[in-house]
Amino acid sequence: MSVKYVPVQWNRNKWIYDAVMLAGVALFLWIFVELAPGLLSHERPINAPIHNGRAFGACAFVMLTVILCIGPLARLDQRFLPLLYNRRHFGVMTVFVAITHASFIIDWYFNFSPTNKYVAVLSANTDFGQALGFPFEIFGVFALIVLMILSATSHDFWMKFLTPPVWKRLHYLIYPAYAAVVAHVALGVLLDAQNVTFLWIVLIGSLAVATLHLLAAFSETRGSDTRAEGTDWVRICDAHDITEGFAKIARLPGGDRVAVFRQDGLLSAISNACAHQNGPLGEGKVIDCLVTCPWHGFQYDVRNGRSPAPFTEKIPTYDIRLHGSSVMVNPVANPPGTPVDPVPVPQEVLA
Amino acid sequence: MSDPKKPFFVGYLPAPPDLRLFLIVSIVSFVVIFGATGLLIGSTQDDPGPGAGQGRQTVTGVVEMIGYPVIHVTQGTDRIPTGRTLILSSGGKNGAVGRAAPLEGQVVQVSGLLLERGELDMVQLRGGNNGLQAADGNGAVPRPKPLGRWKLAGEICDGKCYAGIMRPGRGLAHRACANLCVAGEIPPVFVSSQPVEGSDFLMLTGPDGGVMPQEGYDAMAEYISVEGEITRHGDLLVFAMDPTTIEVLP
Repeated sequence: MSVKYVPVQWNRNKWIYDAVMLAGVALFLWIFVELAPGLLSHERPINAPIHNGRAFGACAFVMLTVILCIGPLARLDQRFLPLLYNRRHFGVMTVFVAITHASFIIDWYFNFSPTNKYVAVLSANTDFGQALGFPFEIFGVFALIVLMILSATSHDFWMKFLTPPVWKRLHYLIYPAYAAVVAHVALGVLLDAQNVTFLWIVLIGSLAVATLHLLAAFSETRGSDTRAEGTDWVRICDAHDITEGFAKIARLPGGDRVAVFRQDGLLSAISNACAHQNGPLGEGKVIDCLVTCPWHGFQYDVRNGRSPAPFTEKIPTYDIRLHGSSVMVNPVANPPGTPVDPVPVPQEVLA
Repeated sequence: MSDPKKPFFVGYLPAPPDLRLFLIVSIVSFVVIFGATGLLIGSTQDDPGPGAGQGRQTVTGVVEMIGYPVIHVTQGTDRIPTGRTLILSSGGKNGAVGRAAPLEGQVVQVSGLLLERGELDMVQLRGGNNGLQAADGNGAVPRPKPLGRWKLAGEICDGKCYAGIMRPGRGLAHRACANLCVAGEIPPVFVSSQPVEGSDFLMLTGPDGGVMPQEGYDAMAEYISVEGEITRHGDLLVFAMDPTTIEVLP
């Protein structure tokens, strides 16, 4: 949550996150660049720019694979949410590693020619009509451009400026970018490789990404949130189904999700989508009388959908009432930040 | 609904005690995965081949243009015996056609970096007259010896990268670089899957003995079969390929 934009709102967990990330990346590169050549029994060494380019390229692939596994892992098991918390730093770091890979390759393979090296990347091989010998570099160029755009727009300023839905759609480009990276690797270095170790790593990595996303999607559709019944006022659940300090999520007839929270024995309904990154508020909990998003900790007063002053984020609220023990919600959302009186839950209903 | 029994992490608050063991295991796993993949990928790189630079050499010989320039050595060194035929190129992705053509048939002094891979010897000329200049002495271009029409299987590479200026300097990942080199008039070579007259490589020309035709670029770095006339120039085999016979092999 923010009242003004600063480059990074550092806290202890972000420092730890970045330190671990840097340690992993540094270890990968040190082993690949410094240690591995001594383990190879080649008559002549691989040229240093090629070896280094491969090191940074392979590292970027592994980083991107891990990044894309974090999201579905966190959907499948909340304990992985801390890995999601500062994932954007991981993404920005990946871009720098990928740029370093591209620099080594362009300055070596495409340099020293009368043709400008950047023009040469696009013009040296134009056999787009065949798989063998396809100009795989184009996939790398596409992926790198996407990663740079995503990195440049990763800050909350851009999310506010573009609005969360547009920002979210823009950042879905990570999936075509990852597919392009896999194609870049598969049609390039893997077609030449006689040793199949990297092939297996690429296969396992990309299959892990695909499988985890399918599992998360399956879990979501099968999921814990119920489909609200009715058209006018819709039934969400029984009041006693909602644990104190937590919420029940339901999908409304229009497709939006509502989160009905119980706080101090009172029921309130708010949008399930956090104003920050559409995080699932209903999977959060009430801390200090405020609903707290599980993704990045954005907080809202459940009675009016507003972040506590001086923060200014607002989410839609819903009118709510009890019919017997059934929790009923008006599916027409109130404008963000609209106060709605909470509904007390009679003790006999909770009993 | 989140599970009330599970620890709830908020980024700007201390991690819940119940989550710490899981986080420690995650951190260790993360670092181990990165280290292990770095080791696995880094230590299983393919051998880039034996090509390499052999230091600066200065020899005298006679220039012959066979689409690309070669020199038949008349006065060699300890490393380069008299009678050897060397392919010539310039620095970077540049050939030496423009520099050598005016000196065709003449005795010259050649100086530059010797690149060596098996039977393939190439000299990357130094800049200006230091690399190539007319010299005193006698010499003649050896008479070419036709070896007939052959069908070969193998790969088209640029002679300079294959000879060791880049390691690895062949394969599909290197295709764009090879195209740039050959477009810059660096002599292409055909790396045969079976030795021909004792040599694994042949300098490649077009069917008329000129530069490699466009079809050669389209087949660069692929495993192909192609027919053509082979001629021995000194101790160098030259393959004048017929581009209409190129077939990509599985």
